[in-house]
Amino acid sequence: MNALIIFALLIALMLTGMPISIALGLTVLTFLFFMTQVPIEAVALKLFTGIDNFEIMAIPFFILAGNFLTHGGVARRMIRFATTLVGHWYGGLGLASVVACALFAALSGSSPATVVAIGAIMLPAMVKAGFPNRFGAGVVATSGALGILIPPSIVMVIYAVATGGSIALDPAGRRVLSASVGQLFMAGVIPGLMLAAMLGATTFYRAWKNDYPRMPRASWFECWRAFRESIWGLLLVVIVLGGIYAGVFTPTEAAAMSAVYAFFIAVFVYRDMSLRDVPRVLLASANMSAMILYIITNAVLFSFLMTHEQIPQLMTSWIVNSGVGMIGFLLFVNVLLLAAGNVMEPTSIVLITAPLLFPIAVKLGVHPVHLGILMTVNMEIGMCHPPVGLNLYVASGIAKMGITELTVAVWPWLVTMLVFLGIVTYVPELSLWLPRLLGML
Amino acid sequence: MFLRILDRLEEILIATLLAGATLIIFVAVVHRYGSGIPLLYPLFIRLHISWAQELCIYMFVWMAKFGAAYGVRTGIHVGVDVLVNALRPAIRSKVILFGLFCGALFTAIVGTMGAKFVIDLMDTDQTSPDLELPSWIVYACIPLGSYLMCFRFLQVAWHFWRSGELPHHDPGQVEGVIESPAAAKGASR
Repeated sequence: MNALIIFALLIALMLTGMPISIALGLTVLTFLFFMTQVPIEAVALKLFTGIDNFEIMAIPFFILAGNFLTHGGVARRMIRFATTLVGHWYGGLGLASVVACALFAALSGSSPATVVAIGAIMLPAMVKAGFPNRFGAGVVATSGALGILIPPSIVMVIYAVATGGSIALDPAGRRVLSASVGQLFMAGVIPGLMLAAMLGATTFYRAWKNDYPRMPRASWFECWRAFRESIWGLLLVVIVLGGIYAGVFTPTEAAAMSAVYAFFIAVFVYRDMSLRDVPRVLLASANMSAMILYIITNAVLFSFLMTHEQIPQLMTSWIVNSGVGMIGFLLFVNVLLLAAGNVMEPTSIVLITAPLLFPIAVKLGVHPVHLGILMTVNMEIGMCHPPVGLNLYVASGIAKMGITELTVAVWPWLVTMLVFLGIVTYVPELSLWLPRLLGML
Repeated sequence: MFLRILDRLEEILIATLLAGATLIIFVAVVHRYGSGIPLLYPLFIRLHISWAQELCIYMFVWMAKFGAAYGVRTGIHVGVDVLVNALRPAIRSKVILFGLFCGALFTAIVGTMGAKFVIDLMDTDQTSPDLELPSWIVYACIPLGSYLMCFRFLQVAWHFWRSGELPHHDPGQVEGVIESPAAAKGASR
């Protein structure tokens, strides 16, 4: 009953269009004030202690690192490298777009920014080379979302934070701890590469069937030169993953190091940015991180209310008793997250749903890392599936194409992504194999 | 005039906090590994930066509170606007104003609770664990940031009432992107 009131209140407030953080906070205050005896003063303290956690601080650092490298110059380097690598195959520039999106997304971490940075250069180039506009728009709008899955990924940090304090019991009744940031990053590597390969395969197939133009093969020298230019940016991923895996840094320290590294590369190596631009990047990053941290504080309040009303436990026992198995539950999770992906951005969805889904999933025998990757993939598809994926809006802007037409344009890649989601959902080894091989599980 | 100074102060504060926190963690990591090098050891052993982590957290919490206020001004706090945008303009503007006032109300309540909490703390001599700063200074960001955010919500609501415009944040903004045939030629080379 209380659960119903809480969710009805939350949804009603959210539908007025107010910021999600405010809707979460007001729901908690209203409920605590009218329905319980919990002193509201406890809330003030929670607003501070909610983000008083070193692990969360990886988020601003990763945003800062991404913003230093989210620059047209970096995008052009990635595109040149990708084109020399795969441009001479079927699909030429289309295939190169997928690779360039994967590389750039890994650095910038922002899907819409990837769509703009790669799309603004690749779309005119593809149209000029004789590809239909639709083909290019479809490739870029969907491949831009790769950034969420390829580490370093902010959504994964948020999942680790959101489920960190949950009390979850596995089918045998033992306490299961949530996934760590390092485990999730490693687990994201193989699914990320696989999705990029699948999107590439779709591009290749469509281009082969319609006989779209190919590029002349680049010489080894050109390829090497393009590689040497892009390697400085790509080393960032190596620093983060290698540093965490080797135990040189904690994830938060790795994030801070990557921010300093990105600053150094952007200003002194690539020179896309002068020192005078740095305050602007800092301000934009602080703006974005503060928004996310503010949602986190309010989501912490919200999950405090959930725990206080014992809603996760109630939902867990309800689902387990209703006899829905793991397969049915995961299907439900996918549908729920894809639907939510239409109206909210990834951070809020993960923060609200992960603390609820996590105990149920663990009780049904789902591995915490697997659930994290599954949610991340859902967030990714949510960015580019109609009617209201953010990537579609951004892509429609640069392709000068209506949303309806773009919806038609993205479907081959969207179907590919849904097939991929199915594989990730029901083949946990895809996510768990690499971290287990590295001895991180 | 006063408002412009406040705007600038807010921007400088959050950008500096972010830059400062990054440097502190960077120095802490360098210090940890630098101490292992015999040559640098005598120099580094005298420095104690065990407080780095705590300071970084406090700087980020401050950045989060004031940055959230700045975010109201830049329109980065997004909500679910699918339904609202489908409404008739007259009703839509009422609903948006309601949302903004809810924002102001929430931040005002939180600010007041935070202020009470901080004032109670001032009477104690509680300090933070590593830095040994008085706790009330550390927690002062809750009332200060929340009241500032409340003010920003009212400001945005006032502006919306007068001009019908909301601040809008563009998620797809990328520096140095040239949408021109020349750039396209460069890429297809």
